[in-house]
Amino acid sequence: MTLLSIPDLIGRFHPVLVHLPIGILLLACLFQLLTINSRYAALRASVPFVYLLGGLGAVFSSITGYLLSQSGDYDGDMVGLHQWLGISVSIISLGVYLMYRKKVREALLNLTAVVLIVLITLTGHYGGSLTHGSDYITSALNDEGKGKAAVPPVPNVQQAVAYTHMIQPLLKNRCYSCHGADKQKGKLRLDTREFILKGGEDGKAILPGSAEESELIKRLLLPSSNEDHMPPKEKPQLTQEEIQLLTWWITEGADFNKKVAELKQSEKIKPVLLSFQTGGAKTAEAPGDVPAEEVTKADAALIAQLKQAGVVVIPVKGNSNYLSASFVTAKATPEILKLLSGLKKQLVWLNISGAGLDDKGLKMLSGLNAVVRINLSNNAVADQGMASLKELKHLQYVNLVATKVTVAGVEQLKDLERLNSLYLYQSAVNKNDVGRLKKMFPKVNLDFGGYIVPTLAKDTTEVKPPVSK
Amino acid sequence: MTRDELNAHRLIKEAQETQLRSFTRRHFLKESAMGLGALAMGSLLGGCNFGSKSSNPVLYDPAHPLLPKSPPFLGKAKSVIYLHMAGAPSQLELFDYKPELMKMDGQDCPQSLLAGKKFAFITGVPKMLGPQASFAQHGQSRAWVSENLPHFSTMVDDVSFLKAVSTDQFNHAPAQLLIHTGSPRLGRPSMGSWATYGLGTENQNLPGFVVLTSGGSFPDAGKSIWGSGFLPSVYQGVQCRSEGDPVLFIKDPNGMSRDLRKASIDAINASNEQEYANYNDPEILSRVAQYEMAYRMQISAPEVMNINDEPQYIHEMYGTQPGKACFANNVLLARKLVEKGVRYVQLFDWGWDAHGDGPNNSLNIGLKNKCRSIDKPITALLLDLKQRGLLEETLVVWGGEFGRTPMMENRNGVQNPYNGRDHHTDAFTIWMAGGGIKKGYTHGETDEIGYSGISGKVDAFDIQATILNQLGFDHEQFTYPFQGRPFRLTDVAGKVIHDIVA
Repeated sequence: MTLLSIPDLIGRFHPVLVHLPIGILLLACLFQLLTINSRYAALRASVPFVYLLGGLGAVFSSITGYLLSQSGDYDGDMVGLHQWLGISVSIISLGVYLMYRKKVREALLNLTAVVLIVLITLTGHYGGSLTHGSDYITSALNDEGKGKAAVPPVPNVQQAVAYTHMIQPLLKNRCYSCHGADKQKGKLRLDTREFILKGGEDGKAILPGSAEESELIKRLLLPSSNEDHMPPKEKPQLTQEEIQLLTWWITEGADFNKKVAELKQSEKIKPVLLSFQTGGAKTAEAPGDVPAEEVTKADAALIAQLKQAGVVVIPVKGNSNYLSASFVTAKATPEILKLLSGLKKQLVWLNISGAGLDDKGLKMLSGLNAVVRINLSNNAVADQGMASLKELKHLQYVNLVATKVTVAGVEQLKDLERLNSLYLYQSAVNKNDVGRLKKMFPKVNLDFGGYIVPTLAKDTTEVKPPVSK
Repeated sequence: MTRDELNAHRLIKEAQETQLRSFTRRHFLKESAMGLGALAMGSLLGGCNFGSKSSNPVLYDPAHPLLPKSPPFLGKAKSVIYLHMAGAPSQLELFDYKPELMKMDGQDCPQSLLAGKKFAFITGVPKMLGPQASFAQHGQSRAWVSENLPHFSTMVDDVSFLKAVSTDQFNHAPAQLLIHTGSPRLGRPSMGSWATYGLGTENQNLPGFVVLTSGGSFPDAGKSIWGSGFLPSVYQGVQCRSEGDPVLFIKDPNGMSRDLRKASIDAINASNEQEYANYNDPEILSRVAQYEMAYRMQISAPEVMNINDEPQYIHEMYGTQPGKACFANNVLLARKLVEKGVRYVQLFDWGWDAHGDGPNNSLNIGLKNKCRSIDKPITALLLDLKQRGLLEETLVVWGGEFGRTPMMENRNGVQNPYNGRDHHTDAFTIWMAGGGIKKGYTHGETDEIGYSGISGKVDAFDIQATILNQLGFDHEQFTYPFQGRPFRLTDVAGKVIHDIVA
């Protein structure tokens, strides 16, 4: 530690110290104004002393504040305003203390109290803007901003100008608050081409063409527990895609004018870029597991009856109206199936494995239009029953393990466009028909099972230690 | 009065006296002081939550603690089978192929690898030890697997490997606790407890979280790695046996009929409910629910946990040893349990601690035999889940608690009699399959000798975050209030490993 850094250290106490005079002085002003009412006359005696304390606190705060402003991390204009407001608060409060000693008129004291309150509020506001950014308060009003993507979706990502439409908004939403016009932490600004290329006190922020060597990327990739990690861990973080976007942009030369289409794109970056296109952002939930459109709530009484009968009926997630049903401990009796068929629009996942279902029962379910996944395994359902699935256009997963379905039954599912997995282990499908089915369902993952893990000599013997050592 | 009557009379009197004794003056003062204090505290603390945006209601319903619940997000996995190789298998003899290490075999370990490092047993300068198995690339994903796992090597295209896992604990118990509870110290709920707390269980006749052990010994961290920590105790793992009765004393003893059992449980529950009316402790309701579950389990558990009714070809596929407690039997049982709606099955197989201090703890003998005992079962498990259409919704995780050093262990500076490696925290391999995990993918890479990760580094918290993600939870939002603050499985760390999520 050098001697020079001591003022810097003292300066850093400013944000802590500053709250003392704010509180004390506001109290003094409040006491003064209260004494207008004679009920509070007793407070009068304490007012000058409180002013004195607050005034001294304000002087200390001003000194530390001045030292902090010398660090150069803050925007000059706003610091100036905050600084002079702060100094005037110190002077006026000590002045008021002297006014009490001189026993000036009450009305004048009340007036100065009001003036002081206004000044303290303004000083505090500008101070807050310096630390939290000038849009700190207003950003609470458009609260949505928090969860929103830092890069607003672009209509056509290939036609977008990489810097203007993607990189700049990203930097603006994630970096400007500390590295912009208002504040320049580490003497780094990222709000114009010149500043980005210039870098900060630790040197260049980016090296066009070499993302791994660029300090900006390095800091983004540090573990968030590292104190050099950016953005600081309490601030909103960049997503994986956003980091990949920045990395790609720097690797491709950090060009400020070119369109995305004009830059080289690896296979890996293409899906990432696409995720910034309108409608492409939803990567978390694979489309289709549950229909995208909204649905009305299912009849609560119906669900209660099903639950009573031992069927597990729960929403597929938190507050979704789509439902999943499982017969793990229930039997598929006609009464229960009738209840179940009432969940026409809402039921999307159905596990009715080993519940004693037959074709007749399955027919009762042919109206469950929304079903995406259906597990019919270990039931006596056969070809006839497959006709009941024909109209269930959302079906993606059909499990017919250990059923009596033959190739004729499976054929009936060929018009289900969304179907992507079909399980036929231990079904009645003949081995000879496997090839035919594979041709019939080219896009579907057909699993006929019957896997064998051969027993090797090594599986049943042990390696023995050498007899004598 | 007969002798029996006299005894009964004495018992009743004693019970009455015991009850009266609990209402002393001291008792009154204590209760009222605590009560008033708590009242005041409650009203003070009530303000703390004011305006908070937290949307984490306590999911615990004491009367029905295990009812199935929906996750907040769409989960890909409905259940988890976690295969833990207790003792820490050597990544360098299984998945992390390092030809460069072979070149250094027998040389003194460079100082750069030892400076500032602490090992469990290595002291002084150990020798480097080349891979003690030959490797080949497999499947379309060209993943490296050693000759020790010939069956599993056919499965690499269904699996995502994490090659650069690290931990900060180099002793078994804390490292196991860290992986399963998110803290190297005791007292946190295990992952299975979190899962059953958040999701309940589909099958009300079986526990939601089952633990099976093999290898002849418990994992070093003991039962705490499947404990419920500060979560209600109903969410702790239920340890079952794959040999004999699945749960000890599950059968009614001679002379106890089913009706009598029911009557006695009803009586116990009635008295517990009275106790609940007096004390309002939700743990009492949990106890009532558990008695009822135990009664139902008496019928369903022996049925589900009996692997003997599986066909012969399934037994051959898994390589089971009927009547014995072994890993293969446990793996088959795990599949059956998942099929029946059990949420989280945790397997521990002991005996992977290949230090080289004896033949069974050596890389060329003991480790090879351990591999032979798991190779066929884990391969069969993946294939069997796949052919039943269950792998899509079952997340299978395989791993140990840490890795092993590229150096040969020299305990107290003296070379061990057999080839072995010490505990290593910087790099080891874990793999996951099914439950919405990418197929045929490798994430992360270690340096030339497998000493530390150089890309795609992940730790226990990242793995926990990923498992919760697959079950439909945001690990940062999934909390439980305890000691005045919300607790997470991942504490303040962890990132979902999106690269391995399909």
